[in-house]
Amino acid sequence: MKQDRNRRARRDRRAIIFSACFAICAVFFLSGVTDAQQQALTPVTDQAAVDRGKALLVEQCGFCHGANARGGSGGPDLTRSVVVQEDEGGKQLGAFLRVGRPDRGMPKFDLPDAQMSDLAAFLHSAIYLNANRRLYKILDIVVGDPKAGQAYFSGAGRCSGCHSPTGDLKGVGAKYEPTVLQGRLLVPRGRPGGSGPPAGPLYMEKTAIKVTVTLPSGESATGGLVRLTDFDVILYDTAAGRVRSFLRNGDVPKVVVTDPLQAHVDHLTKWTDTEMHNMTAYLASLK
Amino acid sequence: MIRLRCFAASARQVRARCFAASARPGHFLTFVSFVSFVSFASLVSVVARAQIPSDAWPTYHGDYTGRRFSTLKQINTTNVKNLTLAWVYRLNTSRAAAIVGGEGPETPPPGGTTPSIKSTPLMLNGILYFSVPDHVYALDVRTGREVWHYAWKTRGGDHIGNRGVGILGNWLYFLTPDNYFVSLDVATGKERWHHEIANMKREYFSTNAPMVIGRQIIIGVGGDALDIPGYLESRDPESGNLVWRWNTTPRAGEANTNSWPDEDSMAHGGGMPWIPGTYDPELNLYYFGTGNPQPVLAGFSRAGDNLYTCTIVALNPNTGKMVWYYQVTPHDTHDWDAAQTPILIDGDFNGRPRKMVAQASRNGHYFLLDRATGEHLLTTKYLDSLNWTKGINAKGQPAHDPAKDASVPGTLVSPDTNGGTNWPPPSFNPETGLLYFGTRQGFSVMYLTDTDGKPQGWAAAERNVAVVGNALKAVDYKTGQVKWSRPLAMGPAGSTGGPMGLLSTSGGLLFGNDGANNFVAYDASSGKPLWHAGLGATTSNGPQTFTVDGRQFIVVGAGDTLYAFALQP
Repeated sequence: MKQDRNRRARRDRRAIIFSACFAICAVFFLSGVTDAQQQALTPVTDQAAVDRGKALLVEQCGFCHGANARGGSGGPDLTRSVVVQEDEGGKQLGAFLRVGRPDRGMPKFDLPDAQMSDLAAFLHSAIYLNANRRLYKILDIVVGDPKAGQAYFSGAGRCSGCHSPTGDLKGVGAKYEPTVLQGRLLVPRGRPGGSGPPAGPLYMEKTAIKVTVTLPSGESATGGLVRLTDFDVILYDTAAGRVRSFLRNGDVPKVVVTDPLQAHVDHLTKWTDTEMHNMTAYLASLK
Repeated sequence: MIRLRCFAASARQVRARCFAASARPGHFLTFVSFVSFVSFASLVSVVARAQIPSDAWPTYHGDYTGRRFSTLKQINTTNVKNLTLAWVYRLNTSRAAAIVGGEGPETPPPGGTTPSIKSTPLMLNGILYFSVPDHVYALDVRTGREVWHYAWKTRGGDHIGNRGVGILGNWLYFLTPDNYFVSLDVATGKERWHHEIANMKREYFSTNAPMVIGRQIIIGVGGDALDIPGYLESRDPESGNLVWRWNTTPRAGEANTNSWPDEDSMAHGGGMPWIPGTYDPELNLYYFGTGNPQPVLAGFSRAGDNLYTCTIVALNPNTGKMVWYYQVTPHDTHDWDAAQTPILIDGDFNGRPRKMVAQASRNGHYFLLDRATGEHLLTTKYLDSLNWTKGINAKGQPAHDPAKDASVPGTLVSPDTNGGTNWPPPSFNPETGLLYFGTRQGFSVMYLTDTDGKPQGWAAAERNVAVVGNALKAVDYKTGQVKWSRPLAMGPAGSTGGPMGLLSTSGGLLFGNDGANNFVAYDASSGKPLWHAGLGATTSNGPQTFTVDGRQFIVVGAGDTLYAFALQP
């Protein structure tokens, strides 16, 4: 099912980025986010009510159900409660609380309607935030050892063959927030996510996959790959300054694909997570 | 050569269904009566078939085996180059001329997008029946002309997709995103009744295609945003009332509760039965795969194997009682449901004939089991980049490696949460002995975002970093080895496409896509492409085939459009 979502997310982004040209160009690297989703729940917009509800929960319910409503000393998780999840604006929750479940140790709470509504606002807001993974906040990921990262950069990682902390990577730690930095450390394809609209299609980028097409006549064209299938190849011919397409029939014309980021792609199966964390810390230190 | 078994009960049901449907004319009285006469004349051949009928497609997979293999060969490796367009039908989602039902508002909720056809149409008596979220259509198979359109007024819910409809006699069944089980008159599209089966406020949404087995209409729920329990149900075909329910995680006092740390985690453990399963009438067992456990990417609050999530389950369709199970991913922490089709294979294994069930699973592995007992026969890895296991354990299961769980500073995992493959229906060709499926080789960093002792929902974020080496693969069912692998299309950033709906035929053909809008006929033995058509989108459902008036049709959905192909008469 999630594949459906990811496809839809990619399609939406394509519509924006390649509105006038080849929509088939995969763009999922531009933002790197693969978790768009459509939901039944809607956000709680009255933040003041959410705040009041939270204070009320801590004061009235927190001892048993926890200060975050996920369960405490004997009381169940309220954000997973069917009564709470199916409640509408405090109505069903209020009816439940005014009776309680004395047989199971749950006393009744006869709160005014306004407070019931506030309590429901907090709980529904918490449930919405649990359910909506687009809103999850990535925590502090710069936990690695920058010195070990530096050693990896010039040693086992063999990064220094192409990159330099005083050259292309100068100030990179200040340029990108850590998650973007880590993503680009792995595969720096296209423009980093969140840095504004791209200047042009991905196949125009220097990090785009490249292709050389050679016709039986000996004529050839080289440039950024737009699309390659068993039946056609489309590229941005750098020398001609235009997009060209060729139909394919088996091995004719000859097609050779090269990836300027092949070293990064090959390294994807070699990284340990510790090496990745250390390198992230090292690059983040290059302010 | 593989032994083919006769699915006698299946054939009887097909005949009963077809006859009942043809006996009840609707709005298009003359038209329907005509096609009914023609189709009934050929029903004898339907009954005689051991698999997908030549002139009908009566279930989601065409038959109960899930092979999506047709014995038709009018279109074959020699003449497929002459395959041409017969008709096109583009979705009409307007309610203006539709039969309208549903509990939602007159104005659809904002944010709706053009639906994509993910259902495999049923074809009975010259009519195709298919669905997208909130809509069901009946089309004349000869012309692609709309016979009727039913539109559902939705209350909301995730409109991600709908796998299709089920038909028994005069009645059609389908599910809605806001979790209603709806029955329509096959002939007219008029609604008979609807029942709510789950509450969308808990983030349940329903996508499954109802599976008709005898008098059981088997349906399942979906949802993975909140930690809600999954269940499979059988409903009465006349009233729509509940017959039985099977929970996908055990309840207190039942077997295998020790695969969860406590009652709360077990009762909120997910395991959605997303996709229609398969059925063996001789064993009277229904096979289906369950979804991933909840919370999705954080496993530390649900220590244990988390049965029966990510599991192939065999149950008695009359009682809803489980007969055996095999878990393909113990304690999943990467969203790799096991909902992929469990395909029934009858053939030799290690020198003796066996009744087997095979799955190319989302976790990057191929599994082969004895389908009478659940005995494990074979596990192989089909995805080169896979980096998340400690190997295969004594039961043939990929062993969970806690080091590859989502972490706060990020964990690099392959495949990504899309998995090595996904829900689109694969195909097994008994003449080549090959199981075909589309694969995707993604890499993602998974970040734990919910560090509470009781994380909820997804509990982690994912950032995709690369997709490389996607391919259409053919696996030898006996050895689990990849016989051939055909790379899919590329764009400027890497591979495109991946999992895809497939159909194989006795014409030596495998119909699928190339990951870039081309609908392709491949040589089933070698993977060489023999024919293609550039469509408006990459194919989005399972291709199907049948003959109408002696002419073989290939029908496939791509985005919002259904295409029919045939040889020029």
